[in-house]
Parts: sequence; C-alpha cells; structure tokens
Amino acid sequence: MNNDYEVISAFLDDEPFEPQVLADALADPAGRTLLLDLIALRRIVQPTSAVPVLAPAVPVRRFGWRGVAAAAVLLVALAGGYLVGLRQAAPTTVGAPAATRVVQATPFNPS
Amino acid sequence: MADPGGLFAAYHGRVFKYFCRAVGRDDVARDLTQEVFLRASRSAVATNGDGSAWLFRVARNLLLDHHRDQARRPQPSALINETARPASQDVSAAVNAALAALPVLDRDVFLMREVAGLGYDEIAAACELTADAVRSRIHRARLQLRDRLAAPISTSRTMAATRSGRPHEDES
Repeated sequence: MNNDYEVISAFLDDEPFEPQVLADALADPAGRTLLLDLIALRRIVQPTSAVPVLAPAVPVRRFGWRGVAAAAVLLVALAGGYLVGLRQAAPTTVGAPAATRVVQATPFNPS
Repeated sequence: MADPGGLFAAYHGRVFKYFCRAVGRDDVARDLTQEVFLRASRSAVATNGDGSAWLFRVARNLLLDHHRDQARRPQPSALINETARPASQDVSAAVNAALAALPVLDRDVFLMREVAGLGYDEIAAACELTADAVRSRIHRARLQLRDRLAAPISTSRTMAATRSGRPHEDES
C-alpha cells in the first residue's frame, strides 16, 4: 500500500482531490478494497456512548475592579463617619461661660 | 462562530466523542468536555477567529495532560471479567488498543477527522500542522488501524453486505 492511495482518504473525507488520480486508484482492486475497508473502519471507530446533555458553562462572575472600588469607597465613608462622630462626642475641656448678669442675694428678714 | 453558547451548541457533541475515543471512558470524557467549554466561556480568544480550532487545541492539551497524569498514577488491576464482555465491547476495546498504539499526533488528527468530523484545515489549525501533513497523517493512521483491526473491519463489511443482501467478497 503506497501513498498513491492518499487520494482515497481525501475522497472519503470530502476534501479536494484529483479525479484522475482517484480513478487510477480505484481501477486497482487493492484500491477498491482499501476504500471499503476504510468505510468499515469509519463505522467501527465511532463511539457508542450517547452524547450527554450538558448545559453550557456559565462564566462565574468575578469580583472585579468595580467591586474593589465600591468596597474601598464604603470603607472610606465608614472610617470618615466614625472619625467625625468621635470628634463631636469628645468631652470639652473649656470652662463655664462668663456670667452676663449678677444677681445680689440679700438675707430674708420678716420684721 | 461568535459566542461560547454557539460554540457549545455546535461542538460539544463532537468534543465529547473525540474524548470518548481518546480516553476510552465516558465519565472522564464528560469531565474533560466540561472543562473545555468552561475555558471557552472564560476566554475571549474562543470568540475570535476559528473557534473550532481553538476548542480542539484546548481539548488536545487537556488530553495530553490527562495521559501524563494517567502515566504517573499506578493502574488499578482489572476487575472486569474479560471473557464475559459482549462482542460490541470487544470491538470497542480492540479499537481503543489500536488507537493507543498509534503515534499521539496521528491518533489525534485521525480522531478529529473521523470522530469529531473536522475538516483538514480545521485540524491543521488545531494541531499547528499544514493541511498536507494532516492528509498524510490521517492516511497513515488509517492504514495502521486497518492492519490492526482487520478482523472487526471484515466483520463489519460482512454485516453491511448481509444487510444489503449482497455477499461479501474482497475485491482483490
């Protein structure tokens, strides 16, 4: 069996071939036998397993840069709010304001 | 082929069959097929250009990894009673053995053509070969398989001749 019979493979596979070369190959009984054997070979190599019904794979959404940015903004806002709240709630060290009016108290005398 | 969904619809059966014959086990073939399409769904490459070539390049790489892993692991002893298998399993086992005896690249181009139904150009793109090289390798693989599987081929021809009502005769 030589490479001249490659044309039989090409014919079997519906690939381009030279018609005259195929005619010459099939004029030879060995070429015809090869063609029939290759058809039978094609039949027996087919897997018998049924193709499983699979759902197309759905890509898993990744936590992308938008998610990271949103998390960072949230973190900054929380930290800022905490600091502002801390400052407003801090105890003051300033003393009492100056009096605006002085009331003189006199002792009570009923007579 | 524009989107992973379209690739899946067009090729998942072919990829599964390719793996079935290449690894000889349905469950492994199913897992490998899922992995191929999972990668396709994550990759933008699959959506550009020749999707089938990309898919089968990924499939082939996964297959090579699988065979490498299998070679590293110790093989469990066979629990199947060899004499109790039906004839169809005998043929399938003979086909698997004959395929395993082929050079890896010849086996892959043969399976991509014969089982997955790819054209020579698609196979060439998937295996990074020329179309002429694909043609030669497929033919060479066929001749080797024809020699190794002479008995099942003869049986198949006889059965086909019986079905068509014509006696089976060799041309030579």
